[in-house]
Amino acid sequence: MSDIAISTPQAQMTRTRSAVGSLRIVQTACILVIALVIVSPLFMLLIASLKDDRFQILADMGSFRAFWVSDPTLANFAEVGNFSGELAFGRYLLNSLIILALTVGSGLIVNSMAGFVLAWGSVRGRALILSLVIALYVIPQESIIMPLVIMVSRAGMTDTFAVQIVPWIASPLYIFLFYQFFAQLPKELFEAAQIDGASIFRIYRSIFLPLSLPALATVSILMGIESWNQYLWPILVTQTDYARPIAVAIATFFGQDSIYWDRAMAASVLMMLPILALYLAFQRWFVSSFVGSAVKG
Amino acid sequence: MTLQQSAEPAVAARPAWRRDKSRLFQEMGMLAPAVALLTIFLIVPFLLSFWTAMTNQPLVPRPTPVRFVGFGNFLRILKDDLFWTSLWNVSRFTFWILPVQCGLAFATALLLHQKMPFQNLFRGLFFLPAITSMVVVCVIWGTLFQYPTGPFNQVIGFLSGGTIEPIDWLGDPNWAMFSIVLLSAWQAYGFQMIVYLAGLQSIPDELYDAARIDGANALQRFWHVTMPGLRPTHVFVLVITTIQAFKLYTQVAILTQGGPKSSTETVVHYMVRSGFEEQKLGYASAVSVILFLIVLVIALLQRQLLRRFDV
Repeated sequence: MSDIAISTPQAQMTRTRSAVGSLRIVQTACILVIALVIVSPLFMLLIASLKDDRFQILADMGSFRAFWVSDPTLANFAEVGNFSGELAFGRYLLNSLIILALTVGSGLIVNSMAGFVLAWGSVRGRALILSLVIALYVIPQESIIMPLVIMVSRAGMTDTFAVQIVPWIASPLYIFLFYQFFAQLPKELFEAAQIDGASIFRIYRSIFLPLSLPALATVSILMGIESWNQYLWPILVTQTDYARPIAVAIATFFGQDSIYWDRAMAASVLMMLPILALYLAFQRWFVSSFVGSAVKG
Repeated sequence: MTLQQSAEPAVAARPAWRRDKSRLFQEMGMLAPAVALLTIFLIVPFLLSFWTAMTNQPLVPRPTPVRFVGFGNFLRILKDDLFWTSLWNVSRFTFWILPVQCGLAFATALLLHQKMPFQNLFRGLFFLPAITSMVVVCVIWGTLFQYPTGPFNQVIGFLSGGTIEPIDWLGDPNWAMFSIVLLSAWQAYGFQMIVYLAGLQSIPDELYDAARIDGANALQRFWHVTMPGLRPTHVFVLVITTIQAFKLYTQVAILTQGGPKSSTETVVHYMVRSGFEEQKLGYASAVSVILFLIVLVIALLQRQLLRRFDV
């Protein structure tokens, strides 16, 4: 890492420097190659969505023309961006946004409150609830989905927004992440507020929550991605356009005899934009060490 | 905040027991939403799945009452060749995805951990596939995999001078699962990369300095400082990737529907099909119980491994 930081004899230092220099070239080359592999499919998607002819899109793909569009057009977006009819991707996008906003919004409140009480509260049974939350983390969504479908259809919740939001608000993982974040904040902070006579909710609301921007950002990104990409659950509980999310709508392209790649690409770009905006907005606080702290949990 | 502060001395003057009681109520109120939601939407369906697994519960309610069938569903699953095929397929998938995905994640993390210009930009770029929805990934890779004239086949044809026949990536039983591996690794390695970066950050610089003073070269430092320091991270990443691999579903459901010739049939796809196409919800619940047991065993294995390394 910091080779130059240590004071070493001059000769040794220059040797280290040139070694570091050549290593850096190899490193940069590797990074550029990986970046090409990682980013070029996404770049291709963007370029292809600007081409009108779906046969030309496929023909261009094997060559450098996949990365170039001579006469960009937004026709594909106009075609799929409707709010009603067969290609109502505007509506599906809106549905997904509503689901995302409400899931993440209520998820942040519910999970952070629980995590805070588990870290600083004094109610009996906290330790038990905490170990239960950690144990529940093992249960995969896929293995509760069958009975859950019966439950929500008995409750008449099929084909609603609520059925895609409410079950996924509380999550053991996010409760635990908030618990961990709050628990590592200094004790003096809590005690000072307590001496001032602040209630536990006010300590949470006015002191700890404003300090937890990294945790809020991380959970927003993780929860946002999770909600945005839900696929299995919505295909089981939505039948009509009413609350259908965009992921399910895009997948229907694959059921057709010949895939309209131009439309599929435009719809895909539409689907990428909001989550990209969310990521860019919160990336600054998306602290990797925070995610890593869950490793030892 | 400032407005309400005038009321606080009065609160402080109350008898201690009353403050404590209202505080406990407040704490319970703050826990209640999470506890209620987890109970209704996680614990109850989880417990129900064990019960449903032992019945002949259909998807659509029928006039005949639901019958208790004991372990009948489990026995039928264990006798179904397709179930064993799906288990074999996710094992194959795991075998391939572990080196490809975790290797890529580890390599990019090592590269990005060094100080360099545009570090944050690259970190952001490398995470892009992880925020890309699997459905979108399927659209992109679906075009890349086109047979016989898709981009991959054109590049292979160009590089080999036309000597290698075009590959039917998703339509050839020998290739289909491997193709799924490629796109899955591309999509999901970003999270593992972040975890590895965190692991690398957690190794104290003093260890590297000490090793350097002892005359260790870069390779020795990597082998005797970095690798031991990353042991818990390796365990975590491998376990998480394995668990994800056993839950493989979306990309298979969209691109191959388990085909061709059941070569990409997975446990979750098998479960969804028996539950919703064949409408046997009890049977599907039994599959979900088996899936849970598999995940549980892997998670317990992780505990054991981590405990061993901590000693």
